[in-house]
Amino acid sequence: MKAIQVKNLSKTFKVKVKEKGFRGSMSSIIKPRYKSILAVDNISFEVEQGEILAFIGPNGAGKSTTIKMLTGILYPNNGEVSVMNINPCAKRKQLAYKIGTVFGQKEQLWTHLTPYDNFKFFGAIYDLADTVIEERINELKKTFELEEFINTPVRNLSLGQRIRCEIVASLIHKPEVLFLDEPTIGLDPVVKENIRELIKKMNREYQTTVFLTSHDVGDIEKLCKRIIIVNHGRIVLDDSMEHLKYHYLNKKIVEVKMKETVDFTAEEGITVLKSKGGNLKLAIDTTKKKINDALRLIDADNMIDINISNVPLENIITEIYRENKVLL
Amino acid sequence: MRKYIFIFKTTFLESLQYTLNIILGFVSFFVVLFVFLNLWQYIYADSTNLISGYSMEQMIWYVIITEIIFFGTRNRTLTGQMTSDIKSGTIAYNMNKPYNYIYYIVSRHLGEITLRFFLYLGIGILIGYHFVGGLAGFQAVNLILIVPVFLLGTLINSFLRMCISILSFWMEDAGPYHWIYDKIIIVVGTLFPVEMFPDWAQPLIKFSPIYVVTYGPAKLVIDFSMEMLWRVLLAQGIYLGITIIIITVMYQKGVKKLNVNGG
Repeated sequence: MKAIQVKNLSKTFKVKVKEKGFRGSMSSIIKPRYKSILAVDNISFEVEQGEILAFIGPNGAGKSTTIKMLTGILYPNNGEVSVMNINPCAKRKQLAYKIGTVFGQKEQLWTHLTPYDNFKFFGAIYDLADTVIEERINELKKTFELEEFINTPVRNLSLGQRIRCEIVASLIHKPEVLFLDEPTIGLDPVVKENIRELIKKMNREYQTTVFLTSHDVGDIEKLCKRIIIVNHGRIVLDDSMEHLKYHYLNKKIVEVKMKETVDFTAEEGITVLKSKGGNLKLAIDTTKKKINDALRLIDADNMIDINISNVPLENIITEIYRENKVLL
Repeated sequence: MRKYIFIFKTTFLESLQYTLNIILGFVSFFVVLFVFLNLWQYIYADSTNLISGYSMEQMIWYVIITEIIFFGTRNRTLTGQMTSDIKSGTIAYNMNKPYNYIYYIVSRHLGEITLRFFLYLGIGILIGYHFVGGLAGFQAVNLILIVPVFLLGTLINSFLRMCISILSFWMEDAGPYHWIYDKIIIVVGTLFPVEMFPDWAQPLIKFSPIYVVTYGPAKLVIDFSMEMLWRVLLAQGIYLGITIIIITVMYQKGVKKLNVNGG
């Protein structure tokens, strides 16, 4: 079953334009001028139930605008949206019972209350009976390891603890789809890892569909099997992580330490990324040169050390962003 | 309804953290009361005199009650907070919850002002008793009928404030309109009863929100009559209906043109 269906979705914002100086200020009062910004441009995609999808793109690409249209906060100018077979614009309140949202940059918890009181509050606004709320808190308390600080006011929690509580608050009503907008922003690597594990566990145990946006490649790499990249409001890539990592750029990175300097600049399919003395960093385009052919060019007797790796996902994504800019 | 009661309860619990801030807010309340206590005591050189039908005790109690209503129900949630939520797009984070944003704000507002209102009420009554004594002819049993009038007045005041804040969907800053409303209420609605104003101005004031928010409830405390009660309740009913319609229409239209900053 499809959890999310989006067809030809577009959103345009009208932004006031003001010319500089006093004259500009006066004329904007008398005759205001506006320009239209196309934030989301005719995008279509589907998400299966239970899937964890990464929806990424550079700043201003249209990610958050899309999430806000999927949750019924913003009204699209064109296109159709369906989340759990509900039109978010027409039935936002009904949809609210089926979805959960975590915005890493915006806290929804009441800071003077304890996480426990917050969970009771969120349970009540989702019309859950007191006994159900208690059961749910106990269950999530164990899953997200909150025992230590569940009775400490939120304002006294660390960022990592607060994010865990934010996620629990958004799960209290057992949502079928969870929208995570940069959930690990500002967290240290250990806490990030912990949060990712908990998201995976939640997806496994409750079959929750997760729609994730993040600038952190680690989140995407460790959580998602599928990735959608948006740029300038358009989908520029919708692919599996496997395909993206191993086939999209067809490149291997070879780092080699030689006794003497070697020149590879004339070789087709090999790009010298760095060369300092005997230390070389090469990018091999495997569509033009097989990796074993490239390795044959290196004199084994002259070699001290070698390391072959895939292109980091971060570089692949950056490359896609750049390519898209050039194309447009 | 249960969820709105829960929102009220949660906000009330949170407001207990700010008791000291509320007590500090008494300063301006005391200053205004002190000035008007002295002013009226000076004007009523002979305390048996009546001015515009009010005895000195009634006049001072009128000012005390309207000041309690004004200071006790003043709250940033309905003004600056709501305005900045709309302008910055933060309102969006409340919209994907299964409650009506307008009722959510009203519940929060009532939760935030309850403690403050009762603190001002207690202090105001103590000041009144200390300076002018009890009100002649006041019957505690009438309070059963007066309390709903106070509640409706507070609710209408909240709705009028929200109407102004919702303008932020279309305007850069609704702050000046709140300032004007504030000044009209404090100058025309709290310091002098309607009868003190020129004859031509009185009908205007009686049709204005002042009649249902401050004058009506205060007048019923100092000079209760069933006729006045029905008149105030009727006016409050009309105001309540109109403000609810205006808020609903404005909110539904405004939300459709919401611009959320940063996406």
